[in-house]
Amino acid sequence: MSDFLVLDDLKTHFDLGNKAFSRQSKGVVKAVDGISLTVQEGEILGLVGESGCGKSTLGRTILQLIKPTSGRVILEGRELNALPEKELRKARIDFQMIFQDPYASLNPRMTVMDTLGEAVRTRHPELKGEALRARIAELMRTVGMNPAQMRRYPHEFSGGQRQRVAIARALAPEPKLIIADEPVSALDVSIQSQILNLLKDLTRKMGLTMIFISHDLSVVRYIADRIAVMYLGKIIELGSAEDIVDDPLHIYTRALMSAIPRPDPRLERSRSRIVLEGDPPSPMNPPSGCNFWPRSPVQHDDYMKSHEPVFEEIVPGHYAANCPFCLQKQS
Amino acid sequence: MALLEVSDLRTSFHTRGGVVRAVDGVSFTLDKGETLGIVGESGSGKSVTCYSLMKLIPEPPGRIESGTAFFDGQDLLQMSPKQLRKIRGNRISMIFQDPMTSLNPYLRISTQLIEALRIHTNIDKKAALKKAIEALEEVGIPGAAQRVNQYPHEFSGGMRQRVMIAMALITEPDLLIADEPTTALDVTVQAQILDIIKERQNRLGTAVILVTHDLGVVAGTCDKVNVMYGGKLMESGTAEQVFYNAIHPYTRSLQKTIPSLQAKGENLYTIAGLPPDVSKPIHGCAFYPRCPYPKTGAPEGDRPQLVDAGDGHCFADCRFCDSSAPIETVLPQKDAGDLAGEELA
Repeated sequence: MSDFLVLDDLKTHFDLGNKAFSRQSKGVVKAVDGISLTVQEGEILGLVGESGCGKSTLGRTILQLIKPTSGRVILEGRELNALPEKELRKARIDFQMIFQDPYASLNPRMTVMDTLGEAVRTRHPELKGEALRARIAELMRTVGMNPAQMRRYPHEFSGGQRQRVAIARALAPEPKLIIADEPVSALDVSIQSQILNLLKDLTRKMGLTMIFISHDLSVVRYIADRIAVMYLGKIIELGSAEDIVDDPLHIYTRALMSAIPRPDPRLERSRSRIVLEGDPPSPMNPPSGCNFWPRSPVQHDDYMKSHEPVFEEIVPGHYAANCPFCLQKQS
Repeated sequence: MALLEVSDLRTSFHTRGGVVRAVDGVSFTLDKGETLGIVGESGSGKSVTCYSLMKLIPEPPGRIESGTAFFDGQDLLQMSPKQLRKIRGNRISMIFQDPMTSLNPYLRISTQLIEALRIHTNIDKKAALKKAIEALEEVGIPGAAQRVNQYPHEFSGGMRQRVMIAMALITEPDLLIADEPTTALDVTVQAQILDIIKERQNRLGTAVILVTHDLGVVAGTCDKVNVMYGGKLMESGTAEQVFYNAIHPYTRSLQKTIPSLQAKGENLYTIAGLPPDVSKPIHGCAFYPRCPYPKTGAPEGDRPQLVDAGDGHCFADCRFCDSSAPIETVLPQKDAGDLAGEELA
């Protein structure tokens, strides 16, 4: 199997510009800071992390919605970041995005037919009239909607239905890669499971590759084949969904897992949790060494503050930032 | 006597599109020091219930149609604005979902923290400020003495929510109403905030009403649980009763949809269709169109009343489905999207 998508030491930094009336820089936000990753064809990769860890920026950088500061994004052998704007536009048909908020990502003045028609015609500009409508109807059925509602506007739909339209729009140009950025976070639990099932079925059926970005490990566990955990612009753990959830190596992943409230009162009252201190630090001024030390609940010393851990394979197929303090097993 | 006794609360909004019955006859009680969780999907009326208790419903279009809410022997719903002002922020405090919009961006944290103290107690400014710093320290804000002079934008989301908790508890209220206090926060920060609320509650003996859509949060923090759907209670009881012996089909279905409880590889359990539209009259059971159990009759008449199954475990006694069937036998369902489409078409 060939590598479908390769990220090579990808960095996206945001320069905040100079302070007013001065040449002093306000600083640089290192939203994505050296990420290397390969995704296989047909795989669903989950990207998890707290807010501000750079997971959305990474998603947008892959799609070249934000230009990377350095590093390469290679999709099927083509280096996307080196493509001129015109060719990039053509290449974009192959990768699509689903956003968090279906209220904001659909144009309120376009009917479902307009929205989907436009997306279909990026791939098949020759389609019009009855043939186009037939394709739109087929798309709507694929995402579990009634084609009779084709002429409706987004405001006539509920949140879950709107997210279905957004999914149909992403599928319309027959893409190879879909990046879904928190697609179920804005939805109610009962609707959330409908959309998750739909996304999973569709990627399997159509052989799509998907990067699924979410802050919720329990959702990602369900949908992803592999999970990458991000912290401060870096990946700190990567492995199969089972490995990450059942046998996490890094203390941060363990803390994330233990912070998820379980719907079981007796378990909740008895279990002990790994509680992290404070908020995630600012990516503008990341801590030195193993960047996790300010929040680490385990004993640490100056070694941890000065030695940047190497991201390597700890167990076959299971990678982590190899910091001796973060990886130590707790009984 | 219970600290708070709400009975038959009805709140509706009179809009051009019709009367929206957001809360349609809700009753519950809360004792001192107890935590009550109100769970439900968006539009189920859980927030409106809380706002009604504080009389924070904008009138018009809202109207509290009927009901009583006895707080320490006095009916909150019959109070004059002057009496209410004495209770709000003093004996009953509230925390909202979004800490950015509920703090005033123009005022220093100190000003906002001591406001309630200065209004409700005869305390001088210096002593109030000292108390404010203590309150910030208690919710775990490092460098409280300096940070008290900062503005809300200088705090992160989790820190702002801590400030909100400090502010709500500074007058040592008898009742704290928290409306989705952790929904906007990361899970790691959520765990911290819930711990702080629990710890402060144990210290001060405050009763808490926690509104949330997350059953996990409820399991970890609440003594009692109310499950709401379409403006009515579907089930209520202790956390153990509701989590381990759920009776109502809606509660059972809701529990089954949680992704963390399901085996990997299988499709997630879903509740077909959409939550009910409360601006239209509902006959019989509001959950009927989505109910996975075998139907035994057409829904008609009034919505089912809560009945006690013993030990205070109440459920809406719906007679339109056979809820004795195990839920596994009702799977698989019709595709959820198709049903939603039919409803809209």
